[in-house]
Amino acid sequence: MSNRSGKAYALTTLCPIRNGHEGNMSFDKITRHRIQLLEEDSGSPFARIPNTYFARLFILNDVFFEQGNDVHHDHLKSKYLVFTSNFHGDLKPYLKGMWDNANDTVRSIWEHAVAFDKVRNSDDFIAYIRKCQLTTSLFFNGSTDDELRFQLKSLYIKQAFSEFVLAHQNKSTSELRTAFNEFMQQMQSDNLNDVSWIPGQTRLSHLY
Amino acid sequence: MSNVAGKAYGMNVITPLRWWTAVWQKIAFSVAEHFPVKLKGLITLSLIHYARWTIISRNSFPRLEKSQPKETLNYSYMLFESNFNGSWDQYIDSFSFAIPTGLDFFWAWNIKYPKSIPLHDFYHYIRFNQVECDHYYNAYPLASANDVKSARSLFHNLTQFNAETHDLSDEDFAVAWKKLLVSNQHALGSMGEGPAMSTSRELVLDHRCTNHKISQQRQQQEA
Repeated sequence: MSNRSGKAYALTTLCPIRNGHEGNMSFDKITRHRIQLLEEDSGSPFARIPNTYFARLFILNDVFFEQGNDVHHDHLKSKYLVFTSNFHGDLKPYLKGMWDNANDTVRSIWEHAVAFDKVRNSDDFIAYIRKCQLTTSLFFNGSTDDELRFQLKSLYIKQAFSEFVLAHQNKSTSELRTAFNEFMQQMQSDNLNDVSWIPGQTRLSHLY
Repeated sequence: MSNVAGKAYGMNVITPLRWWTAVWQKIAFSVAEHFPVKLKGLITLSLIHYARWTIISRNSFPRLEKSQPKETLNYSYMLFESNFNGSWDQYIDSFSFAIPTGLDFFWAWNIKYPKSIPLHDFYHYIRFNQVECDHYYNAYPLASANDVKSARSLFHNLTQFNAETHDLSDEDFAVAWKKLLVSNQHALGSMGEGPAMSTSRELVLDHRCTNHKISQQRQQQEA
């Protein structure tokens, strides 16, 4: 059992939500409502958290059983905020990055979670999430475990090179060679911070 | 609010299993982890970015304060989460047809698991036990898992080609160029939006608009 596959990490957490309500809305509904109002894609708070490949939030209201009286039917006494993430690297720096870069969102989403009122700083947040963490029984990595900046940079170059090849099909070797040298300089393959996709990008910017 | 983020679908399925069979299930996962041949089918399908199975023992639901009621559960639970390319139907079809024994191996002890064939019962089982995402984020909505993997190999091949062809004659460069394109043709092609992406975005925008209206109405009522 492992949360890791190479340098990729699978974080699974169940954070209990306090039973109770504010006005006419229960705390779990308030939490869900806030989650559903989060921006998507590049506007998502997870786009600001370094090295996040994928992340999701949902509320687990109860457990389910298909019809039939041949088994006991369990019911949960608390509702749980389920937060899971796939990211590159170690858990501690990832959670610190989450606290530092999406602080308002974290405070808002977890406001009604049990014991979250004692969380004051990134160390508290890391300790809190660890208490809510479950060990992954089997983690399957069908992708890569590279740093996100590298994944985004290589995707950018893949798209740009595909367009380059298409645009230079009938060029002479010397023209092709000159253009290719310019292309590689333009790509800045050693620079992972620029000339790349941004996290959560949903539109292509065509070079050719 | 959507299970779709670009070309990826985020699936969550939670299913009960008896506490003693949860132990067997953990052993099965451990076998799969140490003998990756059991995961060969998943690798062959090639449509999954990342997936995970988490056994939640009946006594291990997090309890952080004494004031939080203690769960008294008869069963343990298995939470399955996947980030895959394509639609829900494509995913379930692919799994059921391509790796039925693998699926049965992973869900063997789950209560009322109907087995992956016939497909109709398996469809119903997954749909019944699925929980929708309230927020789903994907760092590269335009890319599939195969795009990410092929981009990595292309990056290395391209930088290597660039370093090795500086001193070649034009004739030798032309030969090397053709060789580069042939050996990397699987990595070439424009990415762009998948068909599910546009539909999803429209639904998300509609939903968000409705949520804002409800939020504004609440604020007006409270004022």
